[in-house]
Order: sequence, then structure tokens, then C-alpha cells
Amino acid sequence: MSTGTLTWAGVEVPREEYLHPGHLACQGCGAALAMRLVLKAMGGDAMVVLPACCWTIIDGPFPYHALKVPLLHTAFETAAAAAAGVKAGLEVLGDTRTQVIAWAGDGGTFDIGLQALSGAAERNEDILYVCYDNEAYMNTGIQRSSATPLGAWTTTTPEAHPEDRPKKDLMAIMAAHRIPYAATATVAFPDDLIRKVRKARGIKGTRLIHILAPCPPGWRMESELMIKVSRLAVATGAFPLFEVEGGTRYTVTYRPAQVPLKEYLKLQGRFAHLTEDQIATLEQLVKARWQELLDLHARTHGQAEEIPVVPIGG
Amino acid sequence: MAFDPTRGLPEAPLSWGDTRWNKTGSWRHMRPEVRERAAPCAKACPLGNPIPDVMTAVSRGDLEGAARLLLERNPFPSITGRVCPHPCEVGCNRRRYDEPLAIRSVERLVGDWAHEHRTVFSPRETGKRVAIVGSGPAGLAAASFLRRQGHRVVVYDRNDRVGGMLVDAIPSYRLPRSMVEREARALEEMGVVFQLGVTVGRDVSVEQLLVSYDAVLVATGAHGERTMGIPGEEHFIGGLAFLRSVRRGQRKPPGRRVAVVGGGNVAIDVARTLVRLGAQPVVLYRRTRKEMPAIEEEVERAEADGVEFQFLTLPVAARKLDGYLRLTVVRMQLGERDRTGRPRPVPIPGSEFALECDAAIRAIGEVAETDFLPREVLDDQGWVVADKVTGATQRKGLFVAGDLVTGPATVVEAIAAGLRAGRAMDRFVRGEPLPVQEKPLPTVPLKEINLAYFPQAARVPIPELPLSTRSRTFDEEILGLDVESARREAGRCFSCGSCNLCANCWIFCPDAAIHLDGDLPRVDLEYCKGCGLCAAECPRGVITMKEELAREEVVA
Amino acid sequence: MVTVSATKVITGNHAVSYGALLSRVQVISAYPITPQTQVVELLSEFVASGRLAARFITVESEHSAMAACIGAASVGARTFTATSSQGLALMHEMLHWASGARLPIVMANINRALAPPWSIWTDQTDSLAQRDTGWMQVYVETSQEALDSIILGFKVSERVLLPTMVVLDAFLLSHTAEPVEIYDQGRVDEFLPPFSAPYRLSPGVPQALGGLADPGVYFEFRVKLQEAMERAQEAIVEEGERFGRLFGRFYGLVHEEHTEDAETVIVAAGTMAGTARAAVRELRSKGRKVGLVRIRVFRPFPFSEVRRILEGRRRVAVLDRNLSPGHHGIFYEEVKSALYPVSARPLVVGYVLGLGGRDVRPEDIQAIVDDVEKREEAPEIVWWGVRR
Repeated sequence: MSTGTLTWAGVEVPREEYLHPGHLACQGCGAALAMRLVLKAMGGDAMVVLPACCWTIIDGPFPYHALKVPLLHTAFETAAAAAAGVKAGLEVLGDTRTQVIAWAGDGGTFDIGLQALSGAAERNEDILYVCYDNEAYMNTGIQRSSATPLGAWTTTTPEAHPEDRPKKDLMAIMAAHRIPYAATATVAFPDDLIRKVRKARGIKGTRLIHILAPCPPGWRMESELMIKVSRLAVATGAFPLFEVEGGTRYTVTYRPAQVPLKEYLKLQGRFAHLTEDQIATLEQLVKARWQELLDLHARTHGQAEEIPVVPIGG
Repeated sequence: MAFDPTRGLPEAPLSWGDTRWNKTGSWRHMRPEVRERAAPCAKACPLGNPIPDVMTAVSRGDLEGAARLLLERNPFPSITGRVCPHPCEVGCNRRRYDEPLAIRSVERLVGDWAHEHRTVFSPRETGKRVAIVGSGPAGLAAASFLRRQGHRVVVYDRNDRVGGMLVDAIPSYRLPRSMVEREARALEEMGVVFQLGVTVGRDVSVEQLLVSYDAVLVATGAHGERTMGIPGEEHFIGGLAFLRSVRRGQRKPPGRRVAVVGGGNVAIDVARTLVRLGAQPVVLYRRTRKEMPAIEEEVERAEADGVEFQFLTLPVAARKLDGYLRLTVVRMQLGERDRTGRPRPVPIPGSEFALECDAAIRAIGEVAETDFLPREVLDDQGWVVADKVTGATQRKGLFVAGDLVTGPATVVEAIAAGLRAGRAMDRFVRGEPLPVQEKPLPTVPLKEINLAYFPQAARVPIPELPLSTRSRTFDEEILGLDVESARREAGRCFSCGSCNLCANCWIFCPDAAIHLDGDLPRVDLEYCKGCGLCAAECPRGVITMKEELAREEVVA
Repeated sequence: MVTVSATKVITGNHAVSYGALLSRVQVISAYPITPQTQVVELLSEFVASGRLAARFITVESEHSAMAACIGAASVGARTFTATSSQGLALMHEMLHWASGARLPIVMANINRALAPPWSIWTDQTDSLAQRDTGWMQVYVETSQEALDSIILGFKVSERVLLPTMVVLDAFLLSHTAEPVEIYDQGRVDEFLPPFSAPYRLSPGVPQALGGLADPGVYFEFRVKLQEAMERAQEAIVEEGERFGRLFGRFYGLVHEEHTEDAETVIVAAGTMAGTARAAVRELRSKGRKVGLVRIRVFRPFPFSEVRRILEGRRRVAVLDRNLSPGHHGIFYEEVKSALYPVSARPLVVGYVLGLGGRDVRPEDIQAIVDDVEKREEAPEIVWWGVRR
């Protein structure tokens, strides 16, 4: 039955689907799941603006459309600008209710789309910007983006010379714009993701959700590991879950569990070439980043001790 | 599916269709199979209690649902919830992760709750009549089952109380008599008739019962106490006899220092009872602690009570001296394994020593009394011969169950045997074929549990009387859990192999191809791409990936 | 709201602003660039004072400006922007998007030379370099025409579902003040009712605009775009007539003057046509048989008008304040190729002049008339006024 809700980890989730099966995502696609969950969190009440990215293909060719919400396809660099335009158009036509979601990949957010995002954020356009981050230009065949993590293989950072720059800090950029709300989330924690989207939904102005959406073919792993990898990204501290309000108030969602980074890296072929020393270096970077985050949290909340550890077993 | 623009094209590239025509199920090479399997706890349980489902209900606060599920397999959870050696907890997968579920305590809570909220059940009468000889756990279980089917049930017992070993042997600090009386009352409310103080084989024969009733179950247990066959045997008090006397109110110990011979449950019950009477028992057992057949938990409690153990010892003679006994005890060593797989104890020549005590109790095993049964159902040793599944004997209409058949075992095994016989008798009186052995379901091992969904959590502490006072009283020593603690503990259950609609599979499917519209998740094979996420994220091994079949086999 | 028609002396830029105000645009998304700035400055005043009930998005680049217009138009709002040269060039990708999505956006482009080297002065190359983007292009001569063409732009665009670019010369028109009649809102409303978009995204209606079209269907969408351009020819003429009947000023695809018995015709666009008109009148007063054709609408290209007017003439001089390097002036190319099927073909000579804002005076055009009448064949390119 597709009416009503069910409770998952303490969160009410609508049973209704806002995504049709038959879409063209690969098996086990994190981006497809992210869209499914975000639309559920919105109750299917939104319009989506979609620049060039995997979802351009996933949605299906003309005359088909995989979502139960209207969608505007737009050029690669324009997600935030087009979304601002859609929102303005709706408002002048008397609709101040419908939310506009800019749905872009990491390429269309961190790189080519960064200007439009910065402009929209600076103007505090009333849009919900969701970046689903699979850490490379996956749609065009796994080329590196500025979201590709240090050490990763991609087709333009091949094994002989893997990615040698750290991942661009999108949340810091958003914080610098002092937007009302920014948060990270990932698909292995759908309750957290849904809570954050619902929170964003109730705020006016520019809101950004940065979702880590693993890509089985791009990360070189079996499709059935997608959720596990997403979970380990959080458990190992590689992808911190946190919120920033007004650009200054930091709230860390979970502390990492005592899981070594290696557990996350070893599942992915894109890291298979890393040596022990390189992994150790990455561990150091993760730790250093965590120290910064915990300090920011403490600066906001007085102390960092009460942050719960990510609730996983194993 | 190519679109044909000659069929009409809008001015602007505005899509109007959806993607449901695209049956992405054709992409698969593996498909998810949703299939429940047995949990190791349920498999280990002689009654096959549906433990995961019971735990799910308790964790959701649905005690009524939990009671309903549990009572389908176990008519006396208040009893097993107190005295069962919990093979379920031994088999519990969580044991090898953090700590096993306190299944017995939860069962006790559910059983007690069921009694507190009991409503009278009046079955539709069938007109059939069955007799049950023996009101111990086997007999009572069969009575409960058969009465619920609507047959007229009469239970005979030579004792003046209902319960057999439950009230006449097992000490009240393990099982208060009120718990058994409560069961008897419930059975009476349902219409079971108890004829107490009637000895079948003397007051009425089995033959007469077979004439008056459509089926007869004999479950008279094993009360004959083995003898040691040593000089001075007559100075030994029988263990069962001793326990009965205490259950009937005797509070004076037979002496201060009392030797207890044996290593089984009766011996331990005797020793722990003696402590409570203010005596100092010393248990003499011919093998080591490892081989003791008594319930491990009880042995530990005996040690905590301060019971002295002397292993690898065997009395070979007893002499009564002026107010005390002198036992001649020989030391043993372990030799070859015997038929039961246990090492045979062999006396060490010349190792005799004297042990002085005020009294001695022997508890070296019980045997069933079978001479009142028709010859045809016995073997040459005098044991009853019966079908393992149904309890049916050579004699049509005559069924047996419990310690009578197996020799001394546990309460739960007796209940299981009673239910098996009851089910068979029900079929028998209806003229239907008797049940056959059920094929056991495969179980889910720990490695198929997705532990990510179970943060480590300690087992609920089970409240008990404080150690300092408990060995001085016959009050129930293990106390019950409150509902909140039971809920929390039940929440630790992995629910191995049993779907509790946690909806992980549903929430993680990127293709919205899993539907929760029934008792089990349903995979929409038209769209499932076979990514395997549902199987990987099912916490409890209900979904596994199988190789995709040939196309033709899929169409259904 | 303008309730009574009034005449004000205003610049071309401000005439554009009034055109947008009277058209009741609903979303404006623009980025400043010389010499467009006054267009959007006045509009932002209109919005801030409440005189214009629109959302003004001060985007961070022209590419985003067009993207935002597309966003707003896709849900059915009437949208407007303005830009020039570098900004227009930056918008190029999104110009294609607007026409491909069949959105009736109207934009004013102030013709300005493209860098490098930097130049802020007038030059037609910027807008003409966008001739393949599927936008209608209207080259205006006066401030009044600028105001009128904005209103007409919306009217025609919303009818054929193609965007319109209204083009003004930098400084010569954008910054030069002339008397302009600013009509009363009521009459404009009568001419231009609210936009009711037939293809728009509506909340609650699950459709996608602009999704993947494989080789089996993309082609047909382009055919539809071309057919819309063809319908636009008729629409522009009809609406230009209707406008004339309501407001007294008639507009068409092409405006001709003194062509009845002209043997030599000057073809020009924008303010250059005004300069040419002065030259033509002067020459006529001296008895020369010279006429003027002002190409107002460049896209869709007015093939029949051009053929009809130029067939049988002796000489045609096409004036281009633009250049397609490696080819010629663009109006010249297109006029010449339009005349190909005409049997009585004039000799057409193309003159490239005034690039980067170099001044063109009536004397220069008189001299061009002399030059073209002397020629017996057309060279590949004729530079006029080059300092060498």
C-alpha cells in the first residue's frame, strides 16, 4: 500500500514513492536512492531543476520522466541560477509555497556550477540546493572533479598519478556565504538525511544539503556494497555528518566510531593502489579535520563530549 | 523504447510519460530471494518457540501479541520461564557478538502477563474423551493442547497435588508452587478435570481407561530412585523423597553435615535445599565438574551457595556409628568413554578414605515405573517403546510421553513430548493420520547477520535476591523483569531469519522495487536490477541473492 | 502605472525600460555591462518603488541571467533581461537553451564591440554572432522604436514561442535622448494581455522540460523551431499592423523609403539607417535615384521583402557595422544569398564600416552611393573609413 507512513529509526517516512521504477540508474546507484529519499522528505511537494549530471540520463529520455514532480533540465553550470529563476517565476505567479530544489552532482556544484551557487547563496535565494556527491564526473566516465578525494583513481587521475589534491571543502564555502542552513548527509543514514531535509524545508533562503552518494562503477566496487561504503564513510570519519546554521553555528551529528579508515578504503577499487604509508597520511588528514570540526562544535555548543558516536555495530 | 515523432510532437520538448514501461528487471543476473529461516534459538528450543517473533512483539510493547505467539508453542511459559536450562540462550547468535538475549526472563514476563490478563477459553466440544495419567509437565501440556481442541480431558494423578516433579521435587526457590497451581486453575477454567489421589494401575487399570476413553496418554514420569548397591545402602535417604518432604513443609535438616551422592539435577536441588535448611552439604560425584549432567547454572548457584564439591569420589560402603555415618569413599579417575560419550570413571586402587557425616542422601538417577503398563508396549528391560514423533505405542490408542519414556530429562523436553503426543492423539481420535517428523528449517548463522544495525549492548541485568540472603530462604531467588527492561532486552534480538518488517530493504532500494504490502517484503521482479542492496542490508538474513533464472522461468 | 500617454525625452536605454514596464514583465534577471546599465537601473527603481510588480534578480553573471530567465519563463512568467557584447557572448550557451525550450523571453542587446581589444563603442558583431541561436532579432533605429519593439517582442514571442532580441546601437541610441511617447498602460494591456504559457512546468504536474532526445526525435524539434521562425514572419507583420492601428506606429520586417524608382538602394540596420536616410534625402533632393531599405527584423530573415524590393535594381550597397572574419559583413552575406534565386539581380556590394564605434556621417554614405554606382563588379570586401 502506498499511502500513510512507516517509521524507520524513529522517523516517519511516507510510503508513497515519488520516483518511478524503470529509471536508468545503474544497479545500486547512490544518486537514485538520494533522490528517492529527498523527495519523500519533501512529501513530493517540489519542483526540481537539474543541470547536466547522471540524473539527466537517469530521468529517462524524451518523452519519459522518472519523477512524480515537475523538472526543468538546464545547462551544466546553471543549477542555482535557473532554480532561483524558477522560484522567482512561481512567486510572481502567486505560488509562494512550492519549493524549488536544485539537484546537481559534484561537478555541477564544486566546479562549473560554483559561481551560480555562490551568486545564489550570496543573494540568499530561496532554494533548496542538493548536491549529490559521487566524487567525480561520473556521467561522462569517471573523470576527476574538485570533489574527488585525495589519493583516488579516476580516468583523469590514473594509477600512475592519482588525485593529488584534497577534496574541496564545500561546507566551508557555504559557511562563508552565511546561508541559513547547510548540512551533510548520506544515504546509509536515511533517518538523518530525511530529518535534515525536513529541517531545511522549513527554512527560507538558501539551504544546501551535501549528500555523499557512492557510485559502484565509479568507485570500483560491487553494487551491493553501496550502503556499507556510505556507512563506513561516516563511521571512519572520512565524511563527517554535521550542520552549519547561519554560517557560524556548527552542530556535529555523529562522532566517528573506532573504525580504521582502511575499512572504508579497502572496499573501493579506486583506492586499491594506496600504500600503508599513504593510508596513514589520509588517516592523519581525517583526524586533523575532525579536530577542527569538534572545535567548531564546541565553540557553538560549549563542549563536544555529548556528540553521540555514529550508531553502528559490527 | 524509441519514441516515434510521427505520432505527434509538442512544440516544446516537454515530457509527458513516465518510465514504468521500462522493465529494468531484464538487467539482472542475480535476484533477491525473500525467505524466512529458523533462528538458532528456536531450533535449539525443544518446543520450537517462535522466539524472534515473540521478541519483536515484546520490543514493540505488544505483550498480547507476544503471549499469543508464545502460547501457540508453549502452554506454560511461566514455568519454563523459571526452570528451563535455556538452550535457546546457548544457541543465541548474539552470544558470539556481545551477550545472549535473556530469553528465559522475557518468556517469564510474557507468561506471567498472560496469566494476569487471562480470559477463559471455551472450546467447541468434539465429544471425544481422552485420559491423561500423570499431571507432571508432559501430562499438563497434553491436557492443555487436547482441551483446546475441544476434547473432554481427564487427568489422573496418584498425588494429591497437580504438577508432578514441578511441585514435588523442584525446589520452591526455583519454582514456587503457586506458579503450578495457577496453571492447574487455568486448565480447570478451560474444562480440564483432575482426578487426584487416583493411582492408575491400582485404582483403575490402563485397560479400563483404554475402554472408557478414545485415547490415553501415560506420562507418569520417572520417580523410582536408583540404588547404589553398596553395603549400608539403607542409611541413605532417597533424594526425591527428601525433596518431597521439604516441599511438604519439612524444615529440619537430616543433619548438619550431609553427604549428597550424585551429579544430576536432583543431587544439586538436594544440596541447595540443604543449605537453606542450615545444613552443610558435600556433594560426592564420581566424575569431574565438566561431566556433571546437572544444569550448569544450578551448579554455579550451588557453588555460590557455598556447597562443597568433591569430584572423582564414590562411596563404596556406609556404616552407622553413634549418631553419625562413616562413609568409605574411593577416589576415581577418568578412563575410556562409555556409551553416552562420557569418560568412564574407574576407581583408583588403594585410594579409599573415610568421610564422616550426619546423614547421607543419594541422588544417582531415577527410573520409570512401568509395571502397570501393558506388556506389549515394553521392551525386555522394561522401558516403554514408543514412536519418537508421536509417542504412540504398539497399543492402539495408548500414547506415552516425558521422563517415563526418556528417563530423567528437563521440564521443557517433557512439555515438548506431551505436546507431540497431544497432537498425535488429537489426530488419532479424529481418525486422521498421525503427524510425521517436520523437516527442520535451515538456520541463520551469525555471519549472515548484518551487525552494523546492532550497536553492542549489554544484556539486561536479571534481578535476583541478594547473595547474602538468598541461600537462607526458599523464596524464589530469581526475580522477574519489569516490562520496560523486557522491552529493551527484547530490542536486542537480532530476529535471525525472521522478518520483522524493519523496512531496511524497502528504504535502501534505489529503484523503489520493494513493496511492504504483506507479511514479507515483496520484490517487484519486473524492475529489480539485482543490485543486492536489500540482501546486504537485511539485518537478519531473510533476503539472499540467487542466480537469475532463465527468462522463461521468470514469467509468472 | 502609466494611465495617460505622455511624451518624455528619454534615452534609448530608458525607452527599453519603459517598454519592459509597460509589458508588465514579471521576472527580470540581469547583470550590469556598459552601455546597458541604465536599462536595468531604471527597471530596478520601478521594481523598488512598486511601480513594477516584478522580481529583480541581481545575478552574478550574464550566463546566470539567462539561466534565471529560463527558469522563470519555464513556469510561465513573463521575463526580461538586457545585456551587451561580452555579456551576450557569455550567454551564448543559454541563448540556445531559451529557444530550444521555446520560451518567449525578450532581451534588449546594446550592440557593442567584442574584446579584445576592449571597446565599449557600437558594433553589430555581438548580436549577429548569435544569429544561429534561434532568437528573433529586431534592429531598432529610434528610442520610440525601442520601446515599441519590446512590447511587440513579447507579443510575437508569446505567439510563436520563440525569444526576441531587441538590438540598439551603443551610445548612438542607448545614451541619446529623444522624445518618446510612453503609452498608457490600459492600451498596452489591451494589446498585450497576460502571458498564458501553453508549455510550462506546473507544480503537481510531473513533466520534464528539455530531457534527452535521441537521434530519432531531436531533428523534428529543430524542424518545429524553424517552422516557428517561418510563422513568425507573418506574426511580426500582423502584430506590427495591429500595433499601428492601436498606437499609430506601424512596424514590419523591413522598412523602405524612396525606393519606388530607385536605381541604387542602400541597405542598412540600426542607427546607421537613420544616417543613411539623411544621405538619401539629400541625394534625392539633388535628383539622384537612391532609396533606402532598413532591415528591421534580421531573424527570421525577411527573404521575400528583400527579394521584392531589390529585384531589378541596378546597384545595392549593403552597410555592415560588423564583420564575420574570413567572410564578409553579415548583412551583406545574407542579402546577397537571399537574392540568389532572383533573375533580375542587382550588383550588390558590401561595405564594412564603423566597427568599434568609428563614426559614420551622412557624407560617408553619400560617398558610398557614388562608389557603388561606379562599380561594375563586386569585390569580396570593401572597407570604408579605415585608417591606413
